[in-house]
Amino acid sequence: MEDRPHKPHRPAQSGAKAEKKEKGKGKEKSHGFNEKAFAPKSGRRADRQGRRKVEKDQTRLHVPLVNRTPDDEPPPVIVAIVGPPGVGKTTLLKSLVRRYTKQTLNEPKGPITVVSGKKRRLTFVECNNDLNSLIDIGKVADLVLLMIDGSFGFEMETFEFLNILQSHGFPKVIGVLTHLDLIKKAATLRASKKALKKRFWTEIYQGAKLFYLSGVLNGRYPDTEILNLSRFISVMKFRPLVFRNTHPYVLADRLEDLTSRELIRTTDGKCDRTVTVYGYVRGTNLRHGMKVHIPGVGDLDIKSVTQLGDPCPMPDADSEKRRKLSEKKKLLIHAPMSDVGGVVYDKDAVYINVPGSFSRGNGDVPQGEGEQMVMDLQDAGLTLDDAVAQSQIRLFGSSSRHLAIDEDANMKGAGSSEDGMSDDEEEEEDFDEEDDEEGSALGSDEELDEDEELDEDEDSGEVDMERLRADPQNTGRTKLRDVSRSLPSSSKKQREEVDFADSDSDLGGGDGDDDFGVGGRRARFGDDEDIHVPGDEEDSDTNDEDGAEWQPQSSNRSFGRRRRKDWMKLIYSTSLTPEQILTHGKDDDAMEEDGEENEDEDDFFHIKKRDDLSKDEELDKTKETIKEQHLKKWEDEDVLESIRNLFITGEDIAQGEDGAEVNENGEPYEEEGGDFEDLEVDVDDARPPSSTPADSEAIRAANLAAKKEALKKRFDEEYDDPEASKLDFYDEKKEEMARQLQLNKAEFEGVDAESRALVEGFRPGAYVRIELADVPCEMVENFDPTYPILVGGLLPAEEKFGYVQVRIKRHRWFTRTLKTNDPLIFSLGWRRFQTVPIYSLDDHSIRMRMLKYTPEHMHCYATFYGPVSLPNTGFCAFNSLSGNASGFRVTATGVVLDIDRSVKIVKKLKLTGVPFKIFKNTAFIKNMFTSALEVAKFEGANVRTVSGIRGQVKKALAKPDGAFRATFEDKVLMSDIIFLRAWYSIQPRKFYNPVTSLLLSNKSEWTGMRLTGQVRRDEGLKTPLNVNSTYKKIERPHRRFNPLVVPKKLQAELPYSSKPKLMKPQQKQTYLQKRAMVMEPEEKKAIALLQQMRALRKDQVARRKEKKEEKKQEHRRKAEKDEAKRAEKEKEKKKEHMRIAGQKSKRQADLEDGRSSKRRKT
Amino acid sequence: MAQKGPVIHYSGHQYLRSRLVLSILSGKSLRIEKIRSDDKNPGLGDFEISLLRLLEKITNGTVVEISVTGTAISLKPGIISGGSLVHDCSLSRSIGYFLEPVILLAPFAKKPVQLTLRGITTDQNDLSADLIRTVTLPHLQLFGISDGLELRIKKRGAPPAGGGEVQFLCPIVKQVKTLNFVEPGKVKRIRGIAHAVRVNPQFSNRMIEATRSILNRYIPDIYLYSDVYKGDESGKSPGYALSLLAESTTSAIHCSEAVSEPGVAPEDIALRATRALLAEIQKGGCVDQKHQTMVLLMMVLGSEDVGRCRMGPPTTRTIQFLRDVREFFGTSFKIVPAEPSKPDSLQLTYSCYGTGYVNSNRTLA
Repeated sequence: MEDRPHKPHRPAQSGAKAEKKEKGKGKEKSHGFNEKAFAPKSGRRADRQGRRKVEKDQTRLHVPLVNRTPDDEPPPVIVAIVGPPGVGKTTLLKSLVRRYTKQTLNEPKGPITVVSGKKRRLTFVECNNDLNSLIDIGKVADLVLLMIDGSFGFEMETFEFLNILQSHGFPKVIGVLTHLDLIKKAATLRASKKALKKRFWTEIYQGAKLFYLSGVLNGRYPDTEILNLSRFISVMKFRPLVFRNTHPYVLADRLEDLTSRELIRTTDGKCDRTVTVYGYVRGTNLRHGMKVHIPGVGDLDIKSVTQLGDPCPMPDADSEKRRKLSEKKKLLIHAPMSDVGGVVYDKDAVYINVPGSFSRGNGDVPQGEGEQMVMDLQDAGLTLDDAVAQSQIRLFGSSSRHLAIDEDANMKGAGSSEDGMSDDEEEEEDFDEEDDEEGSALGSDEELDEDEELDEDEDSGEVDMERLRADPQNTGRTKLRDVSRSLPSSSKKQREEVDFADSDSDLGGGDGDDDFGVGGRRARFGDDEDIHVPGDEEDSDTNDEDGAEWQPQSSNRSFGRRRRKDWMKLIYSTSLTPEQILTHGKDDDAMEEDGEENEDEDDFFHIKKRDDLSKDEELDKTKETIKEQHLKKWEDEDVLESIRNLFITGEDIAQGEDGAEVNENGEPYEEEGGDFEDLEVDVDDARPPSSTPADSEAIRAANLAAKKEALKKRFDEEYDDPEASKLDFYDEKKEEMARQLQLNKAEFEGVDAESRALVEGFRPGAYVRIELADVPCEMVENFDPTYPILVGGLLPAEEKFGYVQVRIKRHRWFTRTLKTNDPLIFSLGWRRFQTVPIYSLDDHSIRMRMLKYTPEHMHCYATFYGPVSLPNTGFCAFNSLSGNASGFRVTATGVVLDIDRSVKIVKKLKLTGVPFKIFKNTAFIKNMFTSALEVAKFEGANVRTVSGIRGQVKKALAKPDGAFRATFEDKVLMSDIIFLRAWYSIQPRKFYNPVTSLLLSNKSEWTGMRLTGQVRRDEGLKTPLNVNSTYKKIERPHRRFNPLVVPKKLQAELPYSSKPKLMKPQQKQTYLQKRAMVMEPEEKKAIALLQQMRALRKDQVARRKEKKEEKKQEHRRKAEKDEAKRAEKEKEKKKEHMRIAGQKSKRQADLEDGRSSKRRKT
Repeated sequence: MAQKGPVIHYSGHQYLRSRLVLSILSGKSLRIEKIRSDDKNPGLGDFEISLLRLLEKITNGTVVEISVTGTAISLKPGIISGGSLVHDCSLSRSIGYFLEPVILLAPFAKKPVQLTLRGITTDQNDLSADLIRTVTLPHLQLFGISDGLELRIKKRGAPPAGGGEVQFLCPIVKQVKTLNFVEPGKVKRIRGIAHAVRVNPQFSNRMIEATRSILNRYIPDIYLYSDVYKGDESGKSPGYALSLLAESTTSAIHCSEAVSEPGVAPEDIALRATRALLAEIQKGGCVDQKHQTMVLLMMVLGSEDVGRCRMGPPTTRTIQFLRDVREFFGTSFKIVPAEPSKPDSLQLTYSCYGTGYVNSNRTLA
């Protein structure tokens, strides 16, 4: 049915449609496309347009990045919904889920995966407002729906989140404005929309998409708006981000504890747990032996990884033909933490979730006597007796035979109220048993239904025992379950398929096996490859292997043909020594081979042992010893001739000169026609093995044609335009990447899934179950599905620890400076951890000089001890992650520069001393060192006085201890202070404290190492006061300088100008001073008159002044009065204003109160 | 505080070098026990100690602990720092023994390596300095390590007294390229270096003559250089050797070498080298047998893509190396016959998915 070709479209030849077309055509012709319309009017303009076009082309170019996510089956896109509390995240999530699946979730928790289109699935995650969650989700989200309360505006968390995104690779962000219905006035609405948009654009980029959601209808946003949003989501394109493109990661959508209940009981729940997490692999391939980090928990070892059937598969080829997604597919949803989606598949179990069962929380559903009884039994305590009693009821499938087979599953069943079964027959039996035990009112048709279903999935190991009840909700569920049932089944089933169908295409065996054409045998061969899945038990492996290997080999012998060695198997899955592998089957064939492969044969080992002993010291050497007997054959002329075809001058047997031709893509041509058919048989079993001459003829012809085509193409390229065929760098790189991706895909195409997983790991898009060992019990006990669990793969380098040097800049919104040796919480790579950085700056490229505080508005270096991250990884840092920290919490951002095992940071050390004896240019210095040994270490070091006289440390003096002789470029003074500038190297403290927020019951309350001050404050301790550190009044005694004395002899020799000219003050009275004065009587009179007049004048001025002062006083008094009056008025005015303002704010507060209470209600 | 990584255990002295290299590259600790524990002179040899010293010099933070008896070592690898170094090699092995691990580590160092090694340049067991220069380094170029990659032979030194000196310069890379080399091509040229120190310089000409007598029949493009070092540059002991290499149209290189032995005529030495070369060419593949492990390691360290290479059948070293690689990096190779249709063809195609190894030691800015 499907193979039938579709009818090609035939345009209508007559009728209304044809006429319409005809008419349209005519119109087009008559009016036509006017070429001139878009042609530039002037040459200059054309030039400008051309340049602009080229410029635009250049901006479109990016550094070519390989996308490691496969195109054909990509993992679901992670859409994170982020915003402050009460903004409507859950409402949006519900609306979107309803839009895609037509289901209304009551309580969405954890990741929810839905199918959104024919080529796309989405995983929605609602992210709470905890900073830890924001960091984690920012590292994995492909698309962020950033919700903003339109009536309130941006909140600090939003900005913090954007900064986190920036430092970890910016995913796509769509802003969503909500609560716009709270703004009543249209003008205010418009204005606030505009303001918010402007801010949003400056934060993200100009033109970033911002959505407006109006009010809530029926607990959801309006359907049309959600539809629009979903359209935007569905066409979103994603550019690979470097960090995610180099690390595998899994966003866990489910978590199970596999620890045996008994162990938990005996250890009081404090034992390390074995935990499985489930999710889609994203990023790169998840390899074997990889370590993972779960942010909030720590580094963990993967015990095993299993690929499971996709719980939310992409629409298959059948529905691919439709233009739209079929209705059935629309119902697919995978949300294990939210209790929807019906069926959940595990490695060896299927869990069916049925609402209205015996589980709690369904008080409204009427319960029969039987159900009530079972539910009461669930309430039993945890004593051993009760546990036994409980297990009797729950483990109704515990027939002894079964328990013996699958003990592991049984344990699990006993613990988690599920039952272990591996056989449908048994299942049926068990159901009957259960029915009997329950004595319940299960309708017979129900039972039938159940059995049918269980028949369908053939090898589901475990079935959740919460049974269906006849209630109205059931109908919807059964339908859903049917949908899920069409999924690819559990891995066990896959393995079975492998056994019977894919055997020929297994990795190593395929080529070796083609010689025997018996299907059944091949199947067995495939089987033994399969066994080497790391998850399986090793012992059973080897047994099976041996058993399986026997048969093909015996058949091989009977065929009597020589078989090629299967190198992969020999190397990777046998314990033969390399020498044994090489000698194996070299001289004699199958007989010995069998003997060797079956390791339990004794005589084989004896031979080898002897051989080993005969050799003595085996050197680890690269050159093999040339053995003369091996070279003997080259004396023969025929042998020499036989390799002539390996030289360019030699004739090729089939093809002639250019046998080694390589075509355009670097792919070799097939060597010979004869080979080709064999290869075909090998690769594709479906084709009939044909070796008729006619066929080979045809193939040869095809080969020839292909070659001719290539030649022609090359000629055309060279002839037409040799430049045109040349690609520019960008295109070349892109093509190279595409070719490599093609090769990656092709290389392991035919290989069965499990061998493939062995070689290349689990590809992105695979749904895997990761079993983790030694998980702290708190993670399970304090598990909260609203906090995302992220499993990030670590590269080999990232498991190591060392000193990490980063370039760091304090965030400009963080108010305080950062201090060296203060703990800081880094979010780097997958990890969040607290460590103690030392800040430094490059000092003239000579040394790294420690800084006590980070500089303002400038980058500096920081060095800390911690897990290694590759250079160029971005990070952000925090002082505190708790929600009640005030202000902006992102402390600093930066990038990793260097990884090392030692650091070279120095801080300045100034040693001071004083001279105690001074010769010409030599001085004896004391008080700088305490011993002669110290001096010896500093011999030759530069010293300096405060006044700038430079000198050198020479040698220690015998007495006093630590004194030394130093020479200077000039004579120093006794009052000089001599100092020595030295550099003291410091090491960052080896402190690494992972933020284990997921292990806490209150996940936002993590506290790491505190500062001393914080500890003192918390403990109520006083800061100890060092007496020497207190400030005291500085006594600065007046300095007395001795007068300058120029020796007399020298003075005499000096020229006059240089002579000191020091003269004593005159001691004797002058002539005038000695004389007395006598006046004439006339003169006396005149003087007396003048004196009188002056006295009068003085009196007059004084009186005038007094009067003026009086007047001024008067005036001042008046002014004061006025001032008082004015102040009174002012005061009144202010009072009035404040009254109005108060009323206003009160009203606003009331309004807000009302809204928040309303919010809480929804 | 430091977290304990996994420790990988081995026993026996064999394959020590490749294990040390893998440990340092992967960062996983290594413990080797029972090193010649049943031997007449148990424990590590002097050349092995010398190698460990060299590795300590080239890395930063590496902790090597040797047990009292010398029969067990444990290695906690640090980072590869590189820089300019000088090392006097033990005279019980030639420089090639020490240089090979360094060649594998050097591209992933923090600073470009400038290593001066003193000792024996050519001997029976290890690749001679000539072969490393002409064959090993071109193999590195396949992986994009080319600019500034150089080996200078300052002085030659023949066993037993040595006295040779080589300088190895290697650039650092961020990541090695993925190899896709499945077309062996045909031999288009043969080159050779015949050298003689402290013996009659005619010896090298005699060797060249003998070689030409066999190889001239195949292709005309044969150049065999006679390389004579005199005086101080010729080391302390007499000796001569011939190294040959054949390059194919797709620049696959095969090589062979023969070293002087007392009582053997130079012609016989030349014939030995020539025949070994022919044997090597006959084995085919894109990579010489002696360089299998190197190419495989670089493939493992490539970007997260499928690398393919066609080679001859694996040697014992290669087999053990493949197993060790799986322990250290978790990478398995897919090994299938290169020409499934030809039952007697021994060539194999090795393909693997690279680990995406990035040089984390490299300093940014």
